[in-house]
Amino acid sequence: MIITNNLTKKYGEQTALDHLELEVKQGEIYCLLGANGAGKTTTINLLLGFIEPTSGSAFINQLNVQENPKETKRFLAYIPENLMLYPSLSAVENLDYFSGIAGKKLSDADLKGFLAEAGLQTDAFGMRISTFSKGMRQKVGIAIALAKDAKVLLLDEPTSGLDPKASNEFGLLLQKLRTKGVATLMATHDLFRAKEVGTHIGIMKDGSLRQQLVAEDISLSELEQAYLNTMEYKELVL
Amino acid sequence: MISKTFLKETRELMRDGRVRIAFLIVIVLLGVAALISARQYKNVNEQYELAKRSERAIWDNQGEKNPHSAAHYGTYAFKPKYPLSLLDQGVDKYAGTSIFLEAHKRNEAQFSAATDQTGLARFGDLTPDFILLFIIPLLIVLLGYNSFTKEREMGTLTLLKSQGVSAWRWALGKWTALFFPVLIITAALFLVAGIVLSNLDDFGVFSWSSLFIMFVVFVAYYIIFINIVLLISSLAKRSGISLVVALCIWIIACLAAPKAASNIAESKYPYPTRQEFAANVLKDKKEGLDGHNPWSKQAKLLQEQVLKEHGVDSLHQLPFNFDAYRMQKGEEHEAEVYFKHYNYLKDQYIKQSRIYKGLAAISPYLPARFLSMSIAHTDYATHWDFADAAESYRIATQKFLNDNFAENSEFGQWSYRADADFWKELPAFEYNPPELGTILSDNRSNLFILGIWLMASFGLLMFTTKTI
Repeated sequence: MIITNNLTKKYGEQTALDHLELEVKQGEIYCLLGANGAGKTTTINLLLGFIEPTSGSAFINQLNVQENPKETKRFLAYIPENLMLYPSLSAVENLDYFSGIAGKKLSDADLKGFLAEAGLQTDAFGMRISTFSKGMRQKVGIAIALAKDAKVLLLDEPTSGLDPKASNEFGLLLQKLRTKGVATLMATHDLFRAKEVGTHIGIMKDGSLRQQLVAEDISLSELEQAYLNTMEYKELVL
Repeated sequence: MISKTFLKETRELMRDGRVRIAFLIVIVLLGVAALISARQYKNVNEQYELAKRSERAIWDNQGEKNPHSAAHYGTYAFKPKYPLSLLDQGVDKYAGTSIFLEAHKRNEAQFSAATDQTGLARFGDLTPDFILLFIIPLLIVLLGYNSFTKEREMGTLTLLKSQGVSAWRWALGKWTALFFPVLIITAALFLVAGIVLSNLDDFGVFSWSSLFIMFVVFVAYYIIFINIVLLISSLAKRSGISLVVALCIWIIACLAAPKAASNIAESKYPYPTRQEFAANVLKDKKEGLDGHNPWSKQAKLLQEQVLKEHGVDSLHQLPFNFDAYRMQKGEEHEAEVYFKHYNYLKDQYIKQSRIYKGLAAISPYLPARFLSMSIAHTDYATHWDFADAAESYRIATQKFLNDNFAENSEFGQWSYRADADFWKELPAFEYNPPELGTILSDNRSNLFILGIWLMASFGLLMFTTKTI
């Protein structure tokens, strides 16, 4: 579903992404780990078609993103770190608008059904987004992806700033989407969540993918060690 | 997508307290302005009807009198107040409402509403045209300045783009959401004005088609503002910048450009001062025949010529009263002098109008204002037309009186008195303003410039939003 071939992005002399080779298949959750500036968000922006690659190519559902910017967006949903919705509109109205923009015509019952599926409490459906917590907004984001029937989900640090309960709920939602065959690429700093929900984990540094791991093959401590080794952290000596 | 965006934007607008207050203020202002104008219109019309009736009654009941005395006694031509002046008062307030018609002299319109007001009138009146031309564009600025910038600032633009939003459909949705409330307010005002005017007794030359064309002109004017405000919002990085730029455009278009146009036109084609004008008229008058002076060189020449034409050697032998004949010839000379000098003024006015029309390219306010005033019959062109009609009537009246004097008396018979019923034979002054078709034809350049503004601003908006 998601393929990148030698995907490279340079800003002048600086290389933000260096020959990225990546594949996320249907029903997989690929977690990209890395420090700030490692190239995670650049990867997502290239897959979204927001920026043009310097070289290489990215594919969503076998379509070249650069050549088919509109078509590829039909298959994907995106949830940024801070999902911003229209504060004066309710959850239902926001969902109705964003799915409408994507060309979906949904009844009120359908919209509420997606919000419920995304785990939003029923009494919050009609409430204005301005009263929502970040966790609730992320659930509306998942509902938007569900309503769009997205085949690919791109997440940019979606659990950052969420409390553990909300973060856990979000992880469960991703698992649910995985069972539906959605291919998810999630950029995150959260090693624990990556191990919990991911099927595959990639560790990036300085724009290149340094390690690729299968989540079930390693423990959390092994993942932590692999991450630290990649980052070349030295043990803190007191 | 257009309807979804329209609904979303409308919901956001309606839920914004500031927008609700702004709407309320505009509607209240419009209501008050319409009420004040309707009362003024009714009062002025009543005064017009009363003055017209009483002046005619005075003329008709002069009793036996010498026709030339009646010519000096004079009468008035009253300028009617037109129904659509309820919406656009134009220059009515400054142009004068009546012209005194007398022998030998062309007078200017006098008794303008402005002369009856105190210095406080410099602050301006609350009239529907003020709301239509200044306040509603300002409302458009306040409603639309953050239409696109808020999407950037809130972060919703990223999500919209990831949803594969079609830029032009999205922009069109925003456009309709801004256009719709403005259309509702404008349509409601024009509909109420139409109903009020069509139900007034003696509502004169009111026509729904004129009202509709005026409505279309204002809607076009608002569409241009909507396009400009959305264009700025689509280009600006932040709402604050967008607001400041949009307000600057409003100030330039609605306040600075008309004044600059007026100054440029006045400095390029100035009118003579009142003293200069009067001195020039007097000079030319003196060079011709004075009907009252039988001893002047011109009068003697006329006398010789008339005696020769009729083959007689005494004025007493003429089949008409030569005094009255000379009076009429003097009148004709004076009319020519006035025609020449007023034509010069009119030429200056036409040249100034051309400057205005040329400068209409820098502000949509100018073509919209000219069209609106023309349709409402409150522009200077209509005033000139009225003044010319009054002058033609004055000339015809003098001829009517002098002919009666000449045909019914003998030379030197200044004691002649016309019959008491004679005055009623003079047709009443009636002025018919230009028809809508003529107005539109005369304003082709304004229509063209407004159309260019409309299409260019919309095209530019659609082009710019493609790259958002």
